[in-house]
Amino acid sequence: MADRDRTGTLLIVIDNPPYGDWRGREALDMALSMAAFDQPVALLFRGEGVNWLRVRQKGAAIHQKTVSRNLGAARMFGVADIFADQGAMARFGIDQTEPGAELINADADFYNRFREVIQP
Amino acid sequence: MPDLSVSDQPGYSLVITGAPYVSQAPASAYDFCQALLDSGHRVDLVFLYGDGVHLASALNTPPSDETDWTGRWQTLSREHRITPVVCIASALRRGLLNEEEARRYQKPAANLAEGFTIAGLGEWVEAVNRSERVVYFHGAA
Repeated sequence: MADRDRTGTLLIVIDNPPYGDWRGREALDMALSMAAFDQPVALLFRGEGVNWLRVRQKGAAIHQKTVSRNLGAARMFGVADIFADQGAMARFGIDQTEPGAELINADADFYNRFREVIQP
Repeated sequence: MPDLSVSDQPGYSLVITGAPYVSQAPASAYDFCQALLDSGHRVDLVFLYGDGVHLASALNTPPSDETDWTGRWQTLSREHRITPVVCIASALRRGLLNEEEARRYQKPAANLAEGFTIAGLGEWVEAVNRSERVVYFHGAA
């Protein structure tokens, strides 16, 4: 994390849980279109948003698409990095993620590394 | 003192994600947009995303003693030649369609208000790169 230059990268933050509303999905769409236009973009899950990363989700049980599947497409589209705040991960007892996310400490130093931070 | 003509001022883009009559987002964005224009700033894009697309419905019919936010935005846009852009994905899933999309999906009506246009997230991507500042107006969490 520390040695890569992300000063040109846009960070999109998802901090609300999946399935309850569409905000997270539409935030992910923003990240995917940034990537589709070859703009450097990364995702951060923090707060209740880390629940996006839980393994073995079954969205079909509540008539929704499983979000980890949408998220799996992110790397394919060219989203450079998926970060998760380690404090939030600990709070929700999540120790495995799908897809793999890099654990970071979401503090001012972290945010300052990016060109812009957007919380849709 | 440098002479800052309009074109030297930084350009702004506004993203509205909160719906009218549910959130203050379209109203705050309106006042902010007005203040930008009054002080000679350039407004590159007004982008309606997520629940913000409801602002562009021609069918919004608030009671007469409440502000008509769709109408207000139409007037502001007309006066300053700004065409607010509505995200197509957000719009279609919320039942906001122009004539073309209504035909494409064989729906009985179109309801995009005059003065608004429908396009993709690429407009937002371009604005992030072009504008000096992109300001987001969200609804309640």
